[in-house]
Order: sequence, then C-alpha cells, then structure tokens
Amino acid sequence: MKAHLALIATLALVPASLATGLETEATLDALSTADLGQEGGTSMQTEATRLLAQVAASHKQSFGEGLSLSGTFWADADSLPSGSPLQTPTDKLKLTSRLLELGLEWEALPGQLIVDVGKKIIHPSSGFFKAPLNLLSRGSASGLIPTTGAAVSTWEEGWVGADIAYLTGNVTIANFLSPRLEWSDSADRTLQYLSQRQDGFNDLLRFGLRVGEADLRFLALTSSGGPGSENSDLRLCLGAGADTNVGDSLTLRAECSVADSRDRLAVVDEKLLASQDESVAWAPRALAGFTWTGPKELSVMAEYYYNGLGLVGSDYARLIRYSSNRLTAPDVRAPDVLDQFGGFEAARHYGFARVAGKLEDDLAPALFSVVNLQDRSGMTGANLTYSRDAWALSGSIVDYWGGKDTEAGLSPLLWQIDLQLSLFF
Amino acid sequence: MKTLFAIAAAMLSLGSAFAPAWAESPAELLKSIDDRLSIPDMRFEIRVTSFEDGKQKDYNRMWGFVKASETKDSRILLYFAEPASVKGRKMLMDGNIVYLLFPRTRNPIRLSPLQVLLGEASNGDVARTDFSKDYDVASLADADLDGDPCHLFKLNAKEDKKDSTYRSISLWVEKSKQRPIYAEFFASDGKLLKKAYYKDYGPAEGKDFPYTMEIYDGENPKKHTTMTYTKIGRLVVRDTVFSRDYLEAWTPEAPK
Repeated sequence: MKAHLALIATLALVPASLATGLETEATLDALSTADLGQEGGTSMQTEATRLLAQVAASHKQSFGEGLSLSGTFWADADSLPSGSPLQTPTDKLKLTSRLLELGLEWEALPGQLIVDVGKKIIHPSSGFFKAPLNLLSRGSASGLIPTTGAAVSTWEEGWVGADIAYLTGNVTIANFLSPRLEWSDSADRTLQYLSQRQDGFNDLLRFGLRVGEADLRFLALTSSGGPGSENSDLRLCLGAGADTNVGDSLTLRAECSVADSRDRLAVVDEKLLASQDESVAWAPRALAGFTWTGPKELSVMAEYYYNGLGLVGSDYARLIRYSSNRLTAPDVRAPDVLDQFGGFEAARHYGFARVAGKLEDDLAPALFSVVNLQDRSGMTGANLTYSRDAWALSGSIVDYWGGKDTEAGLSPLLWQIDLQLSLFF
Repeated sequence: MKTLFAIAAAMLSLGSAFAPAWAESPAELLKSIDDRLSIPDMRFEIRVTSFEDGKQKDYNRMWGFVKASETKDSRILLYFAEPASVKGRKMLMDGNIVYLLFPRTRNPIRLSPLQVLLGEASNGDVARTDFSKDYDVASLADADLDGDPCHLFKLNAKEDKKDSTYRSISLWVEKSKQRPIYAEFFASDGKLLKKAYYKDYGPAEGKDFPYTMEIYDGENPKKHTTMTYTKIGRLVVRDTVFSRDYLEAWTPEAPK
C-alpha cells in the first residue's frame, strides 16, 4: 500500500514540463452482472454489482540524442476483483497498482535502429475479437473482460526484456528477448510490483514486410524455462499475418500461429468426471476478417476464427457432457475442463460480427455478436457511447445465449450491464 | 471520428516541391504554382475548427511532419495534441494507406481511404491535393475574382487518379502574386462538393504560404472548416520514420 501511495504521489509531483505530454485516462465502471452457480447440485442465479475505478497515466520523455524514457502507471479500486458474484471478496474494495510499461529507448540510428530496454507490450495482431499473433500476452490488468467484444483490453501489463528493431522502410526486423524472472510469491514485493513473474525465457523474432499495399508479418517465438526449471525443453511458436486495403472502403486481414506443443486437460470419462493431461502438437490458430466502411461512418466488421487447440465432433460433445455433468454433480472437485480454454476457445470454429456507426457527431452505437459455429451458442452485446472533448459516457449490455448443452449455455456468466464514465486529461 | 480524420488528412500542404522556377505552358505554370505552396520536409502545428450554423462543432490541434517526394505520394506523420479525448493518437498517411495508433496500444490499425475521407473529412482531400501531380490542365483562361485578375484553371483528374473523390477542379490563381486564392471541387457527375479559400499568406521557410484554409461544404454552406497553421518549420528526417513500425517508437515533440 505504501508503494502505491508513493507512486501516486510521485505522479502528482510530475514537473510541469513533463505533465504537458502526460496522457491520463480514468474510468469508472458500474457493472451489474449475473452468474449461474451451483449449490448442492442445484442451479442458482446470483447477481451482483461491481464498481471498478481505474486510472492510467502514460508519458514519453525525450532526453535528446535519440534517448527517451516511457512508462505507464495503472491503478484500480475494485469491489469484485474476481468478476464473479459467486466469489465475493472479504474486503470492500481491493486496491491494486502496477507499472504496465517502463522502458528506456535509444534510437542508435535515428528512425532506423531502435533499442528498447525495460518492460513493454508487443501486440503484432490485427485481429479484433481474437488475436492469434499476440504470442506474448498477459490479458487485462483488472481482469475486466471488454464489453466491446475486443480481444485486447485497454490496460495490460508488459514483459520485461530488451528489444532491438531495425527499420529499412519497407522491411522491419526486430527481436525481443525476455529473461526468466522468478520472484518468490511471498517476498520481494517491490520486484513483484515492477513485474509479474516470468516463468521462462522468451525470444520473439519479428519480420515485417510491405509488398505493394499489403503489410506482411512473420513471427517466431522460442521459449524455455531454462536449465534447472521444471520445463527446460525448448518450445517454438510460429506466426504469420497480412493486412491490406481493397478499394476505398475495405480492409482485409488474415493471420495464423502454430505452436509445436500445447498442454491441455482432456476428458477421459464424462460420467465419472475423469480427465487427464495431454499435449497437442502443431495446433494452428487462425483468423481472417474484414472491415467495411460505408456512408455516414457506418462500419461493418466480420471475423472467422479457427482454433486448432479447440475440440470438434465427438471430442467436443464429450467435453460439453462432462461440463454439464460437473454442474449438476453434488461434489464439484473435478477440474473445470471447459474453463481451461477461456472465453470462446473450447470449440474449433467461431464467427464474429460488429456493426458500428454514428447517430450524431458525439453519439455512437455499436452492436456485436460472437458465435460458436459448432453449437450455435454465443454472446451478443450492444454499446452506446456519448463522447465529449474531455469525457465519454458509455452504456453496454452483454448477453450469453445458447442451450444447456452449449459452450455459452454452460458459461456461469449470464449477462452483464456496464455503465462506464471515462475522463481524459 | 470523422473530424479527426479530416484533420489528419488536412495536414498536407499542396503541390510538389520540385517544380521549375519558370513556367510557360499551362501545365508548367500550374506546377510552379504548386511549388509556392509546398515546403519540403515541413514540420508544423495546425489547429482545425469545424463550424455548423456559425457554432463551433469540433476543434483539434496537432503537429507532425510532411515528407514530399517527386516520385511517391507525400507522407505525413501526425500527433494529436488536443482535445484530451484524442490526445496521444499517432497517424501515418502514406498515399492511400493510413495507419492509426491509439495511446497504450501497440499495433497500428489500418484505415480504409473512405474512413479517412468520410463526410467533412473530404476537407482533408481538398487540402492534400497535388494539383499538377494529380490533375491535367483542361483549360486556362483569364477571370476576375472579387476584382482581382486571376488565372482560371480547369483541371481534370489524371488517368491513374480517376478514382479520386474530386474528378475536376476549378482553380483561381491570383495573377499578380501567382498564388491560389479559391478553388471549387467537383464530383464525376459535376456536382459541387467543396469550395476552398486560401488565406493569410505569409512567409514560411522561404515560401509564400497560405496559413489558413477555409473549406465550405458544396451542398450545405452552413458547414465549414477552418484549418490554420500556427507553426511551420523544416526538419529533415529519414524515410524510415514514415513507416508503420516507427509509429510506436516515435517521440512526438511540439514544434518550437
């Protein structure tokens, strides 16, 4: 807590010369949410209201000679950190703060050779609702699932490492090396504040190429726990992506990543709720999509997501039966095999569509839907944002739909209403 | 967003920087006029204000660089400084390809040309027109505008620019100082889309530069946008700065 206060005080004392370039955003979310829980084998709907206040301040300060320091500080106060009414906290408000990014950047050759040491986020993906190319990603700092259907949340913590990028105009080659950081969970609180643990070494090589009007990207991520670790094997993940314009109103994107091995929990017997670990080799994740822009700022986005790590056919049916049986079992100590996949990742085929426009200059509605194409379940959301120069007020509603034997139908989250006030400084 | 993109597009000064000093044919004359508006490697700060029915609807301030080229489309790097809701956004415009990077995100979004040119944003297209590069001279005549003797150019989009928003332009150039003062921009069906006034000429990096452009909607004259350059200078930067992957690394500094 002292560390949080010290950092907040430091920010408040930022010299005027720095403050001119400070980008600060604060949001207050009031979320009403309903989850379906189990008690003694009986389903029970539980509702709760979550209050979440977040603030993030970013700054990039140049020191001349191509040297600059940049960082993002983030803090939140959360009345329901788990996000689920089924897990209510003991404290009234949980306070968290973190350095999302902090890095020293040096343009060794101005505009051409850039060295960056510190903590940074690398998100090469162009996907909206899924991001197969974001090979190094930690997810939302607050744990809040965006109510816009986006895969990437506004505030995420970066990885500690060193990045070097060489730009030639049409070609960019970059490499990010991230070391293993093994803080103990109980000690070294300051270190944990600066960064989460990094369980292995990661080396992410990126190659970008412009061909005509198309941008191509190729990635290779090599990971290892290193000598002495539980998982010292070298693991490889490869990715490629492209995006381009077609005509005046269409942008296209496609990307794919594949890992040499991924671990997952597999159902052995759905009646006995038995499961076991298994490894899946070279399971691809791919996304293809477009954004079309029409008159009066109407935009239509659609994406298809192929999830090679997900299940299909009888394997998928067994997973659903297992999850359904687990929900009604009096003893639920059996692992939640469906939950290991995360939101809309258990099946192999997904679709996403979003329509957005403007009713007035400052009033923007949006409607989106995620569909599990295998069991026809999904999530639909609507959003209305009123924007002014220094603030925005946004209302969202998200509803999960599908039968009891579907992925969305088995999701504990039933619906969520979010009223968000954003302030910009 | 539409004004945002309008502003983004509006940064570009007109014309090519490589015109001959003396011109005789209409095409050469047009090129020399372009040259009066163009500052190679221009660094700038601009304020853009949109009005409707005399009331201010939108205001933005931004700064950046323009890199002009004889062979390529001009490229622009932009930083959005005001209002607070858009502060921190960075944009790269490279011909038809436009990238936008939001604060605290790491992958620039690719925008379609229509997203840049939507609605009032086509103001941006008015400002970014390279007359001699994008248009052929169909005719050149003498005309008066508010008592000023002018050259009146009738311009048609070149064969490879037939998909331009503005298929033809009427351009009034003040004879005494050889500088544009007014232009009308037409669609392919001859409909008047925009009217632009070039004002507040003053010295900038050795050029006689229009510090203000007022752009009126062709259909609704109650809607107009004023774009005013508040700072202009020169800064030569590497070509690689105008690339998608540099947007994240770019440390914007306000021009002095």
